[in-house]
Amino acid sequence: MTKDTITCSRTGDSCIHVKHKSGLDIYICEMPGFSSVEALFGTKYGSINTMFKMRDDKEYTVVPEGIAHFLEHKLFENEDCDVFELYAKTGASGNAFTSFDKTCYIFNCTGNYRESLKILLDFVQKPYFTKENVDKEQGIIGQEIKMTNDNPEWRVFFNMLSCMYHEHPVKIDIAGTVESIAKIDADLLYKCYNTFYDLNNMVLSIAGNIKADEVLAICDEYLRPCEDKGLETVFPDEPEDIVKSEIREFQPVGADIFHIGYKCRPCTGAEKIKKYMAATLAASILSDPSSDMYQKLLKEEVINSSFTSEIFSGDGYFSMIFSGESSQPEKIRSAIIEEIALLRDNGLEERAFQRNKKSIYGMLVRELNNVANVANLMINSHMDMDGASPYASIETLSELTAGDVAGFIKNELLEERLVMSVIEGRQS
Amino acid sequence: MKYTRADISENIGCSMIIDEKFKTGTLTIRFITDLDGSTAAANSLGVSVLSSSNKKYRSIAALNEKLSMLYGASISSFARKRGDVQILAVAASWLDSRYAIDGEDIDSEMLAIVRDCIFAPNAENGEFDSEAFAITKKDLIDRIDAELNNKRGYAISRASEVAFEGEPAQFSCYGTKESAEAVTSAQAYTAYRKLIENAHVEICYISPRENPGLVKMFRECFGTTERRSVKFRSISPVKNDVRRVSDTYDVQQCKMVLTFKSDSEDMYAMKMLSTIYGETPVSKLFMNVREKLSLCYYCACRTVGSKGAIMVDSGVERKNLGRAEEEILHQLDEIRQGNVSDEEMQSALLSIENALTQVGDTPSSYSGWFFERFCDGDIVTPQEQLERYRLVSKERLIEAARSLKLDSIYFMLDKEDKND
Repeated sequence: MTKDTITCSRTGDSCIHVKHKSGLDIYICEMPGFSSVEALFGTKYGSINTMFKMRDDKEYTVVPEGIAHFLEHKLFENEDCDVFELYAKTGASGNAFTSFDKTCYIFNCTGNYRESLKILLDFVQKPYFTKENVDKEQGIIGQEIKMTNDNPEWRVFFNMLSCMYHEHPVKIDIAGTVESIAKIDADLLYKCYNTFYDLNNMVLSIAGNIKADEVLAICDEYLRPCEDKGLETVFPDEPEDIVKSEIREFQPVGADIFHIGYKCRPCTGAEKIKKYMAATLAASILSDPSSDMYQKLLKEEVINSSFTSEIFSGDGYFSMIFSGESSQPEKIRSAIIEEIALLRDNGLEERAFQRNKKSIYGMLVRELNNVANVANLMINSHMDMDGASPYASIETLSELTAGDVAGFIKNELLEERLVMSVIEGRQS
Repeated sequence: MKYTRADISENIGCSMIIDEKFKTGTLTIRFITDLDGSTAAANSLGVSVLSSSNKKYRSIAALNEKLSMLYGASISSFARKRGDVQILAVAASWLDSRYAIDGEDIDSEMLAIVRDCIFAPNAENGEFDSEAFAITKKDLIDRIDAELNNKRGYAISRASEVAFEGEPAQFSCYGTKESAEAVTSAQAYTAYRKLIENAHVEICYISPRENPGLVKMFRECFGTTERRSVKFRSISPVKNDVRRVSDTYDVQQCKMVLTFKSDSEDMYAMKMLSTIYGETPVSKLFMNVREKLSLCYYCACRTVGSKGAIMVDSGVERKNLGRAEEEILHQLDEIRQGNVSDEEMQSALLSIENALTQVGDTPSSYSGWFFERFCDGDIVTPQEQLERYRLVSKERLIEAARSLKLDSIYFMLDKEDKND
């Protein structure tokens, strides 16, 4: 077991990283003065991991879409009772989520955190799947899929991904489809569980009103050592070009919404965090409310204050997305293309670069103000940025130059890789 | 944590919370007035335009440039409804000065910006700047239009309209689209002046550092005018016959919202009842309607204390609407008949304790807590309130359940032929 203290040179915040003898990576942040505790026990297993094998397997296993999310639902039920009933006895609020590349089990509490941590570590390591409980869950998840189909924000995003990606499973809905989840059975769930819920592929992140020594003592007692079986996940080859440049869908919405996204090249290793921060800064400069582009679109009543940008990235995918409400998304698309051409030709204005850099720095430091944010930051940095420190974003940002951002804009924001997805309320 | 409260003048209070663990400062100024369909949109516009610019930073671009330079500080506005009352606020948040890389005094600069936004707005001759007003107005109209985009939230809004018909609480805090479209810059400015001069005001400052000049600044700016107080709680009468209203949309999942009303004054028993009935994953609604019978994807309960109501909202397939309604009512009957276990009482109390003990872990939880207690007219600590919950007996809980009467049900229906 190794134990290191990680400190942020800019803010003085610190946390502990432990490589536990069981194989698990553990992040602990004691936060004096706070009352609550937030814990996430997560596996690097999400909706995109539909094809995998272990070191000793000859063939890759292919599983139905939506199975990671299905497994998350089923893990809450153990042989004796529902996990929520256990949390009800400690007062903790339990939850879970499945994203594209991870599944996390969460609790939030004030008192009795030790008991709640024992519940969390215990139930995630104790799967219980039967034909009966799998059949019942298919009905509940079927209803969840229908509900998300009524969510225009969800639809506009997935429609955009379907235009960007030819093969990569990021284009598939996290919950799968009613048809794909019908193929899931208890044996398949055990297969996925035994593959991905290996402590060598997992992280525990806990922050707030805790004591590191107490957390580690509970981990020593409850974690069952795992042999590293050499998990390999694989994705189909994904071309750099897009599938198509535009998609529209009609839904009962009061305000039309859009996503305009650039498909960029994914990256791995040390390059990842630098590219992510350069992209974040580029997106901030492009959607900055004090920029000429933003002001022009605002004054022409093309956008409103919902206009925003984000970076969406993971294993094998990377994109920059602009989104908001508008009935004239074509004008926004043209304005973004023009603005990028100008930045490419004229370079970045130093003042805008420095202003947005300061703004992002402020946002990153403010994240450390909140127990839940810190717990999420620790697990996300480890899983998304190949084991990077939770404070790596702040450190990387401080070293970023205007040249780095200009380089990203020049090399990655290419018009031929631009996609627009629109949800409209009225057929014109 | 150090809490102090100062009276700025009659019906203007200022809560100051100094907590060294925070890395940010926040300041929220809430204007509180009677909710009225004829003034809601003008009030909303009159306050929301304030956060877009001011006399010193005369455009959205100029103000945002300054905020970015102050490490991404923010100034925004929001509108809320609390029963029959409309709350309009300007809120600012900033990084504490000790984290400024170039040594800026962010706290002082932000207080000056907020002061200018509220008391020296970008306006002349009784009107707001035309460009700032036009942008704010479009934003409000778009926001009203976009309510339908969130089906669950929209269904709850429609259920409120039905349940509180004929009362101020039926109106949206933004007003209607038509009324927003009709508001002129001059009318919004007049609404703003009325709020500045006559509205009840609550200020909340949360920071790791004291600000000795804050109270003085607000005393000078607000002056001493006569201000109206508002009534924060107004019990809604239950309808003689249960009203059923439905809208049809091209959706895949139907929504059903049931509103129950009560004239009980026992708010602690009502909150405990709501928690046991449908606020947690071990509640009667979750365990039975969703988990045991698989009738809904979600089925949850919330209290609307300011109106003496509780609402149960659910996402249901059309074929299950009837059975889900029956089961929701049946679970309430179970509580009325006393079928509540000691474990359910204990877990509800633990859940409430968990929520109360977290007050103070974020600036917004402090701000929300002290504002709600001010509205209740009872400034107590979370610990004091917890003690009151501990005193709620099963008998009081059953009495609260028996006092609830079904008032109305709102349905958002799918187009039936599509699913048949």
